[in-house]
Amino acid sequence: MSTHTTRPASQLDVQAIRRQFPILGEKVHDRPLVFLDSAASAQKPDAVIESMANTMRHQYANIHRGLHWMSERTTEAYEGVRDLVADFLNAPSREEIVFTRNSTEAINLVAHSFGALLRPGQAVLISQMEHHANLVPWQMLRDRAGIELRVAPITDEGDLDMEAYKALLADGKVALVAITHMSNVLGTITPAQQIAELAHAAGALVLFDGSQSVVHHRTDVQALGADFYTFTGHKLYGPTGIGVLWARRTLLEDMPPFMGGGDMISTVTFDRSTWANIPHKFEAGTPAIVETIGLGAAIEWVGKIGFDAIAAHEAELTAHALQRLAEVPGLNIVGHPRVRGGVVSFTMADVHPHDMATLLDRNGIAIRAGHHCAEPLMRRLGLSATARASFGIYTLKEEIDVLADTLVRIRDFFV
Amino acid sequence: MKTATAERDALYDRLIVERARTPQYAGRLDRPDVQGDGRNPLCGDKTHLDIVLDGHHIQAIRHQTRGCAICAAAADLMAEQVQGGTVAQALGMSDRFMAMLVGTSPLAVADDQPAPLGALEVFAPLRSHKARIRCAELPWIALKEAFSHVDG
Repeated sequence: MSTHTTRPASQLDVQAIRRQFPILGEKVHDRPLVFLDSAASAQKPDAVIESMANTMRHQYANIHRGLHWMSERTTEAYEGVRDLVADFLNAPSREEIVFTRNSTEAINLVAHSFGALLRPGQAVLISQMEHHANLVPWQMLRDRAGIELRVAPITDEGDLDMEAYKALLADGKVALVAITHMSNVLGTITPAQQIAELAHAAGALVLFDGSQSVVHHRTDVQALGADFYTFTGHKLYGPTGIGVLWARRTLLEDMPPFMGGGDMISTVTFDRSTWANIPHKFEAGTPAIVETIGLGAAIEWVGKIGFDAIAAHEAELTAHALQRLAEVPGLNIVGHPRVRGGVVSFTMADVHPHDMATLLDRNGIAIRAGHHCAEPLMRRLGLSATARASFGIYTLKEEIDVLADTLVRIRDFFV
Repeated sequence: MKTATAERDALYDRLIVERARTPQYAGRLDRPDVQGDGRNPLCGDKTHLDIVLDGHHIQAIRHQTRGCAICAAAADLMAEQVQGGTVAQALGMSDRFMAMLVGTSPLAVADDQPAPLGALEVFAPLRSHKARIRCAELPWIALKEAFSHVDG
């Protein structure tokens, strides 16, 4: 065990946490893995790995249908995660939690099923810093339903331009505002409460894409004033293949189903079918049972550590990264938002982000380079790509130092 | 630097770094006979080729490339290698270059003794960097597009 030193309640024992992530002991190109790509997908702790393996080893069957012990126990485990997610988001009720494949599918569900209630003359409002997941589904809806798609600009610092946002709401045509809660490129944490208040005052509902933000701080959909909220399991130290849509009960009840099939019906004849109650109306077919149970393990694991400690750790890492990266010659940090999470994008004069990424990789350092599924944002920034380092619960300050030192050497090599 | 570092990785031969920084065939041509474009939607890299032909010969070729060092150097060295040769020679070189990147024997492409790839052989280490092969291929994709309507 580690030596017990006195530390503030908010401080993490990062080494103890790292020992719970088997992958962090791996080497890449004969060097210790420095994993700075958690915003793309986070690594998984033993608690998640074991819960999924144990499900498949000891307690697995299809859910909601078998009248046998294994099915009943598995159904309990699966439905238990719905309670955990409701609690995680402070949702008013467990029936408002819909399991999807990922955040992308959750947004597509809303674009399809809530979108079916929209009429020409109405509009959906997104922002310039959206991930393609919160842009393309709305373009598809626009082309299908003849609605308007509006885009709220960002400032040069990378914050939502609130005056422009207000102006875009002014004519009362916006039915839904769909905006990220945290930018995967700029790190910007958007002022969700204010966004929601302004949307509601203009008669619009609001959806937040919480894929990045749920990882870094506590999420309370009621305090935010959200109408829809989405996130994905794999960025929250859980498995891939499981995401969540939360929506207010009345909305889910009014929306038509997304996909048809087993589990989402009440009665079926050859003439017609009637739908199951929410949330099952939106969960057609056998769901990702094992992954859902893994998500539950991730939420419990994160809960034990606590968001006070997580947020404090990541704020410290981010501040350290901003300081160390600013010292690298030729390096330019992309985005200086007022409030930010543990994501830092950067470019380097005369060195393409992909060359940076390849050379960092040769030193065991994993970062992301490219347009980060946000091509229109890249165009707004006048860039074709950036490099991005992102931090998680297990990231060490020393890893950020390794990144900064290696970037200095890469710069020397190219210039 | 105490140990072998990434900077000395064989992938980034000095020639690649130099040509990316100071290209010798960058720019546009006034009256190109054929043009080609390559674009990689995954990374945003793009290259545009202007080519002036004299019969079957490539009299002049210039590229305009926005991309990483691998892509930019590949475009520049490609231009250097194909200028002055015939369209058929350029396409043959393209096949051998692609074969080198994916690691298949050049002999599988052509029965007769393959002509050497010359400076283009600096890209051979890409074989073990699968994610970056597209970067070096991009200019050749543009070249093939440019010649797709030319009877080689």
